Amino acid sequence: MDTVSDDDIIIATTGLISREVFERFDSVRNFYNPGAMGLVSSIGLGIALSTNRRVIVIDGDSSLLMNLGTLVTIGYQQPGNLLHIVINNESFGSCSEERSMSGSVSLSGLAAQANYASSLTVFDEISLKNAILETVGKLGFVDAKIELGGRRDFKRPLDLVELKHRFMHQLKGEVSS
Amino acid sequence: MSNSQFNDLNRSASSTSGRIQQALVEAEINFATGVPCGVLRRVIDYLVCDERVQHVIVNRESEAIGVATGAYLAGRRPIVYMQNSGLFAASNDISSLLIPYRVPLLMIVTLRGDEGEDAPQHLVNGAATTQLLESFRIPYTVYNANLDIHDTVLDLFKQAAATQLPTTLLLKRGWDKT
Ligand SMILES: Cc1ncc(C[n+]2csc(CCOP(=O)(O)OP(=O)(O)O)c2C)c(N)n1
Ligand SMILES: [Mg+2]
Repeated sequence: MDTVSDDDIIIATTGLISREVFERFDSVRNFYNPGAMGLVSSIGLGIALSTNRRVIVIDGDSSLLMNLGTLVTIGYQQPGNLLHIVINNESFGSCSEERSMSGSVSLSGLAAQANYASSLTVFDEISLKNAILETVGKLGFVDAKIELGGRRDFKRPLDLVELKHRFMHQLKGEVSS
Repeated sequence: MSNSQFNDLNRSASSTSGRIQQALVEAEINFATGVPCGVLRRVIDYLVCDERVQHVIVNRESEAIGVATGAYLAGRRPIVYMQNSGLFAASNDISSLLIPYRVPLLMIVTLRGDEGEDAPQHLVNGAATTQLLESFRIPYTVYNANLDIHDTVLDLFKQAAATQLPTTLLLKRGWDKT
């Protein structure tokens, strides 16, 4: 998170990923998608097409698989200010850590097929940081493989309307045509 | 796309499709996304061809809900279009993203499965569509020829702004024949 610039927008997916980002790294530049599982990248696309700021989508592997057509939509639109990161524990971690199917497919391969300009798989934090720093000015995808497990008691974003207002307020005046 | 046999923007300003187009211009709609339904042909023609509108194609109605929400968050004025089958496909996204975040936008939805429907797969959705919207407490209007579609659309935009909820215009087959 310290790698992300002060200007970047962060959109986080359903489940523990949103909750961890909210508890540890909350900012007016963040937006959380606690309910509509799979749509985090679609929301990120709508924002990326409407601002010049960089939009960093923090997706989950099962969330992406639930809305896989999004790769085609985003690849087709080719927003150069969108970085799509998948936190890949090959599981429905937020449920009871059931295995997903993402271990049986290359997510970055799928993104490359869908015309993402840059598409990487990383296995450690340094490589993820480098990917965030280097993927600028082009549509990027990073499959960040992580160990399953970790804290489960992160607090939930609750006052959604207030979170929306502060997010919209900081973005205001940035709209590109 | 503009040379498609289905596109003709030279419609009369007084036709129903001309009036809906006029309302979208007056509401300053500048972003549109959705999945086509043949019944919406004339609305989609306009959204694709008018350069004031950024049109984003998607694969599923759920994606449209997400993309339109993002555009709204960034200050755009989006609309979403779909068949009522898509309203059911995207129902969780409406109930757990649009409504709790209070995203006011117009959804133009076709009402297949109404009287005279010849396609059996639409019948269950047709009978349940207004009930779905009512159970979500989403304001909606079913268009009929006694209404002025321009005023109806502008009123739905007003209701969206007042309630901070999505609103829905339901269009039956033949809506644009008047
Ligand atoms: C439509 C829908 N189905 C199921 C759920 C329950 N659910 C919440 S989080 C989650 C798993 C998310 O998995 P992933 O995106 O891989 O993230 P992880 O939890 O592994 O970090 C599921 C299935 C939901 N919120 N919405
Ligand atoms: Mg996972």
